[in-house]
Amino acid sequence: MLADAIAAERFRLIRDRTAVFWGFLFAPLASLLFSLAGDIFVRLAFHKTIPGATTDLANRAMGAVAGASGPVTALFLLIGAAAIVAGDYRWESWRLVTPRNSRLNLLAAKLIVFAEASAWSLLLTALASVLGGLFSSVLNAAPLVGSGAGSAFLGQFAGVFLITWLEVLMIGALAALVGVVTRSTMGAVIAGLVVVVVQSTAAAAVQAASWKTLAIPAYAARTLKTFVAAPEGFRPDAGPAGLGLVMLLAWLVVLAVGALVLFRRQDLTKE
Amino acid sequence: MNLALEAENLVKTYGAVRALDSLSLSIPAGGVFGVLGPNGAGKSTLFRIALGLVRPTSGAARLFGAPAGQTSSLRRVGAMIETPRYPPYLTARDTLKMLALESGAAGADIEYWIERVGLGGAADRKTGGFSVGMKQRLGLAAAFFTRPELVILDEPTSGMDPAGIQEIRALIRDLADKEGVTIILASHQLDEVRRVCDRVAILSKGKLAAEGDVESLTGGRPRLRLTVTPVEAALAVLGAKGEPDGPHAVLADVLRAETPALIRALVQAGVEITEARWREGDLESAYLGALEPKDLVDAR
Repeated sequence: MLADAIAAERFRLIRDRTAVFWGFLFAPLASLLFSLAGDIFVRLAFHKTIPGATTDLANRAMGAVAGASGPVTALFLLIGAAAIVAGDYRWESWRLVTPRNSRLNLLAAKLIVFAEASAWSLLLTALASVLGGLFSSVLNAAPLVGSGAGSAFLGQFAGVFLITWLEVLMIGALAALVGVVTRSTMGAVIAGLVVVVVQSTAAAAVQAASWKTLAIPAYAARTLKTFVAAPEGFRPDAGPAGLGLVMLLAWLVVLAVGALVLFRRQDLTKE
Repeated sequence: MNLALEAENLVKTYGAVRALDSLSLSIPAGGVFGVLGPNGAGKSTLFRIALGLVRPTSGAARLFGAPAGQTSSLRRVGAMIETPRYPPYLTARDTLKMLALESGAAGADIEYWIERVGLGGAADRKTGGFSVGMKQRLGLAAAFFTRPELVILDEPTSGMDPAGIQEIRALIRDLADKEGVTIILASHQLDEVRRVCDRVAILSKGKLAAEGDVESLTGGRPRLRLTVTPVEAALAVLGAKGEPDGPHAVLADVLRAETPALIRALVQAGVEITEARWREGDLESAYLGALEPKDLVDAR
């Protein structure tokens, strides 16, 4: 039953090219284009390469993924999330699909498909960063260095990827909750973006980790990423990172369950 | 009796508005059941509760004996509620594919139903560009294509051209008669209900105002209306089978096969006949008679 709903939702998203492009492709493609344009501008403007410059593709990819949950990227992910989770309010199509599967399955499938699409978007972000790095390496004659080829790096990369993905899932769950409450895709995007910007700003101002500051998702994620990406022997105390993980998971669960509970009880008169 | 849909003291309020007011109604499985009523009578609310789109304030609705809104019973039901809307980026074919996946009915015969509702030439067009009539056709395909046991249709022919209306009426009757699908049909078109339905319920202000088979609600079989002079002589020939209908006409309760003999008898009795016309059962009178005065104003 849930599998049916997921298959239907996946089918829909693949055909919603606007949502796929703006929600999940635009940010990685734009980051690649900005990277290429920046390298070309520097090369054309200064007509020389930076002596001793190197290109570390692995770290570049990890940095790109770590930054993929910032407010600008979140805007596009919110557009994708809103199209998936609140599109049926916009098109008044709940009445078409709701009698065919349980409400729990329908909304859970939307969240799962958003999770899939955002994971692909993050992978694309990493790939775009690697392609940008290769181009930069050739253009600036900066040799590739492979500091991150080992298994330790793969673990760090996977850790950073999962934490960023968790942040993005939380953004998707937030869009779902706001979308259900407001019955509007625009509401989901705007309210979601306000929350993301406010908490990112608050996280940037935080100095010390405490349970209160770690309740800010962006700060919890930053603490976790710092912990995971730190080289062996230089890792900070695991306590705040562990609490940060608990906080991030708690936010995700609270928002997703909130959306599911509200949607389950919601009257779909005029969607 | 095997019931397709059952409402028991169903109440639904939207703020101060009481859309359903202790409605109790039993719709048997088999045949076509019409639900009539003016705007705001509670037809769509009843359907939405049955389909799990809306929760009742109190009371219960059951589909095939199971609480309404349960996925297991909903999978036995197809529905088209009001003018259907679709994600505009999907084609007609993709819309049905998506719904088939959602229903766990990946083997549903999409191509057959696209042809059957007359959308063969528009199957790969995006629904965003569809006319109201085309959306209705696709909605009908969506309601029927998983071969449900019960289909709920809310104004299925609104926005369609006359040929399309005939086609869809024939389709509904055909599916009920040949494939045993139970169809519940809400319509404002009394003629449509009279032609298509076996039984009818009339809702008024969220309550059941009348219910019965179409023939009993419309006062029985068709009668022959004759414009004659003199009326008294015609009534004398007709005896118990006749009654006056205004100063210059009589209504004759006869079978169609008896008509030639009746006309001959009237002519032999010196009655002049200027018009003879069959009057079908009058559902409109039954409908208007069942409504409350306030509803009558709304309905007119």
